[in-house]
Amino acid sequence: MRLSSLVPVLAFAAAYALLSLLVTNSYYQLMLTLVLVWACFGLSWNMLSGYTGLVSFGHAAFFGLGAYTTALGQIHFDLTPWLMIPVSALVGGLAGLAVGFPTFRLRGHYFALAMLAYPLALLYVFEWLGYQELTLPIKRENPIAYMQFADHRVYTLLALGLLVAVMLFSQWIERSRFGRALMAIKQNEAAAEAAGIDTLAWKLRAIAISGAIAGMVGGFYAIVLLVVTPPSVFGMLVSAQALTVAMFGGIGSVWGPVIGAAFLIPVAEILHAELGSRFPGIQGVVYGLAIIGVILIAPEGVYWKLRDRFIKRSRAGAAAILPVVATSVAAPARIKPAKDAPVALSVRNVSKSFGGLKANRDISFDVPEGAILGIIGPNGAGKTTLFNLLNGFLKPDQGEVKVYGRETVGMKPHQICALGVGRTFQVMRPFLRMSVAENVVLGAYVATDDDEEAKRLAADAVARVGLSDVADKLAGELMTKELRLMELARALAGQPKLLLLDETLAGLGHGEADEVVAVIRRLAADSVTIVIIEHTMQAMVKLVDHFLVLDHGAVLVDGEPTAVTRDPRVIEAYLGKKWVADAQA
Amino acid sequence: MTTRRSLIRNWAALPALAALGLAFPAAAQNPTEVKVGLLVPLSGLYARPGQVMKMGAEMAIEHINAQGGIKALGGAKLKLVLLDSGDTVEKAKNAAQRMVAQETDLVAASGAYLSSFTLAATEVTERASLPLLTLSYSDLITDRGFKYVFQTSATAASQAEQCLPEVMKVAEKATGIRPKTVAIITDNTGASVASVKPMRERLLKEHGLTLVVDETFTPPLSDATPLVQKVRATRPDLLFFLPTVISDGKLILEKMNEFGLGQARIPTISFGIAIAEPEILRTMGADMLQGVMTCVGSWGSKGHEPLIAELKTKYGEPWMTQNGISTYADMWVVAAALEKAGKADKEAVAQALRTLDLGPSKYYPGGLIKFDEKGRRVNAGLTIVQWQNGVPNTVFPPDLAVSQAVWSKK
Repeated sequence: MRLSSLVPVLAFAAAYALLSLLVTNSYYQLMLTLVLVWACFGLSWNMLSGYTGLVSFGHAAFFGLGAYTTALGQIHFDLTPWLMIPVSALVGGLAGLAVGFPTFRLRGHYFALAMLAYPLALLYVFEWLGYQELTLPIKRENPIAYMQFADHRVYTLLALGLLVAVMLFSQWIERSRFGRALMAIKQNEAAAEAAGIDTLAWKLRAIAISGAIAGMVGGFYAIVLLVVTPPSVFGMLVSAQALTVAMFGGIGSVWGPVIGAAFLIPVAEILHAELGSRFPGIQGVVYGLAIIGVILIAPEGVYWKLRDRFIKRSRAGAAAILPVVATSVAAPARIKPAKDAPVALSVRNVSKSFGGLKANRDISFDVPEGAILGIIGPNGAGKTTLFNLLNGFLKPDQGEVKVYGRETVGMKPHQICALGVGRTFQVMRPFLRMSVAENVVLGAYVATDDDEEAKRLAADAVARVGLSDVADKLAGELMTKELRLMELARALAGQPKLLLLDETLAGLGHGEADEVVAVIRRLAADSVTIVIIEHTMQAMVKLVDHFLVLDHGAVLVDGEPTAVTRDPRVIEAYLGKKWVADAQA
Repeated sequence: MTTRRSLIRNWAALPALAALGLAFPAAAQNPTEVKVGLLVPLSGLYARPGQVMKMGAEMAIEHINAQGGIKALGGAKLKLVLLDSGDTVEKAKNAAQRMVAQETDLVAASGAYLSSFTLAATEVTERASLPLLTLSYSDLITDRGFKYVFQTSATAASQAEQCLPEVMKVAEKATGIRPKTVAIITDNTGASVASVKPMRERLLKEHGLTLVVDETFTPPLSDATPLVQKVRATRPDLLFFLPTVISDGKLILEKMNEFGLGQARIPTISFGIAIAEPEILRTMGADMLQGVMTCVGSWGSKGHEPLIAELKTKYGEPWMTQNGISTYADMWVVAAALEKAGKADKEAVAQALRTLDLGPSKYYPGGLIKFDEKGRRVNAGLTIVQWQNGVPNTVFPPDLAVSQAVWSKK
């Protein structure tokens, strides 16, 4: 890990440690400990939900299991928390796997709601088991062996150790292939899968680590509170606490939960202490209003608000230095594939229905290696469905698809990607908060296990599409054309032999489209086989070797560009019957 | 903390005393005010019982001060320090930590209503050597070898043990027949489970009772019909009924009345205060509750009439629940310990509480004002209360009973 990324965390830790050493009041010291506990728990939530975007309302499940593991270990077997907290982490991690495996079938709100069920169910299970109230036995002799300290500062320092470890670990993950894969999943799971990322495997790893951290924090929470009850560790408020600190501070960053906890926990407690006995209940109202206020001002969280403000200021100066050179390279000459060239992609009798709608009917075609095939057809002709069948998002009802002679029906998208099939999307899916280089490197992971090699491949892909000059810009700052090229680079970084391009020219002006077309031509010249879906005929006629025209889910015409554009059936499908006569006149 | 502050005070006092040529020990100086903590839920789900505990404590302190304060300390007045234990274990722990860290001159405290709050709070007070009196039932509170916790109510296990024979007696007296069969309908909250467990395990057997229905539900209940139907089908001689949430109690009692089992036609006995809170009359008619009994740690009863009247005029409470009377009594016990200790120091008060022996208890039911080595009040009894014409009247023990138990003769 780079030293520069360690510095802020270590500086924060040193400052916090100094503060905690200066505070002798045991109550303030307890607050200092609890801030760290909830910050850690927020980071655990962030590990799954912040990076993958799969919102979990049920992190209390792992937290509670950790707390009960540590408590029961000491009560029944006299095992010290020094041992049981790592065991709690293990239990939390395993629980993460057990929960993740069935629950990752769900997405979005369904995932969030399903997660909600786990702690609620566990709450009743632990009540049923008769663990309504557990206390960790007091150890008057040898308390340190059981993590019981008279000096509260020790708890704070231990918690600080945990937090720093979790923060550094999170940062390391953020910068590794793991973190990038998770962020890709967050921004678009389908795109990530198409880019060769085994999304289920990464998500399971994320939830296992997240559960392990939560379990560890839960175990520590048990020794701080010394009392464990089902509502105090499995309750709704516990899960909510993780969400609140992370969302308040900023999701998807190691600093977010820390900022959130450092602000919210003391504020809630001060309000409670100052107002609770005089105006009972008012503390909740004030607290709620404070959260609403901050969320309105900084919807993405305090961290991102501050960062955006800070970075904008420093970038305003830097922007002028960054030259944005328009890349115009003349299209190189390319030779069309010979008639007997080997077949890259072979599709036979593929059909797909959605209920009564036959999206694809009995489609067959071959793409020779090095060819550019254009697939055209009016809206709703089944073009994108066909791509989804080819790259594994959908499974055909019948028929077969072969990539370089290998049957791919039934394979997952990331497996098909690993065979050398790249894909872009009609609706662009850039990862806006990442730089161009970072966006592209995600696509390179499928081609290599070595992160440095992946960076090299990504840089190469960026160069091939002519974006080297803007490689360090954030994707959010790019123009449409550059975004299209960046998506292309992301697909290229995986070293595909076959590229599926879905309306890559959509939304581009004339000159821009030509630039992109030139890039595609160059790729084809580098012997990448290309299948492209497009609406706009003109750009395509110049580009492709061969057309496949779809209408109502079936192949209408399969032929050379010049022949196809004159075919009355194509004109009819595109423009309607009355234009056929005009066109032929 | 206290030691440090009193040390500073002593140092400050010493030169002055030396100047006067007096050789009094500094500790002989009497404070004008002695602080007692009250750590109860004042916000959240349990704010209501917390408020009633506050009323009890305030009344007691007023009475103690009006009668001349702590005589052993030159008539020093008691002062109540309120702390909100909130509605979670974590908040209760925080409040307890705040209490010991910032109210360093407290000599004792009372709290924290719910057993789990008391457990967490006493983990703090124990380590800070602050004596804490509690009305919570959980046996665990005084099973941990703690030296600074004093449990004034009979523990949950002991209550179950005491309640059953008394209920049997009341039943036999009212109907002339000894009950033989019993049904249990309970929710799965901590207090209910703790009360039912010893009954299931041995008490019922010891009293020759057969358990014919044994149902545990998770609050909130959506429909009580299946539970009540089982009771109707078996017609037990007694029904032990342990809801914690008022709405659950209401559902079941309404269903029992609908099925013609209400009005104590099947004698119904609860545990704890939930079924006898004044609030319950807001959701349920008094006729539905008629005859329902509950075993409670203490209750405003015979001999407490002036207190109950004062509570009514001052705070508008229709009767005095355990929360009011027990907390009232706690303050008197602290006052007595202060008299015995002779100094406003928590360690001395704790020691005084351990050795206190004031004979029979006036405000807690049964037993003595004396604590055993675990911190449990010696021979702590309980009260049995029965809803009669819209008021929960004490019907047991006889010395506290304001009326006779009403029991149907099927």
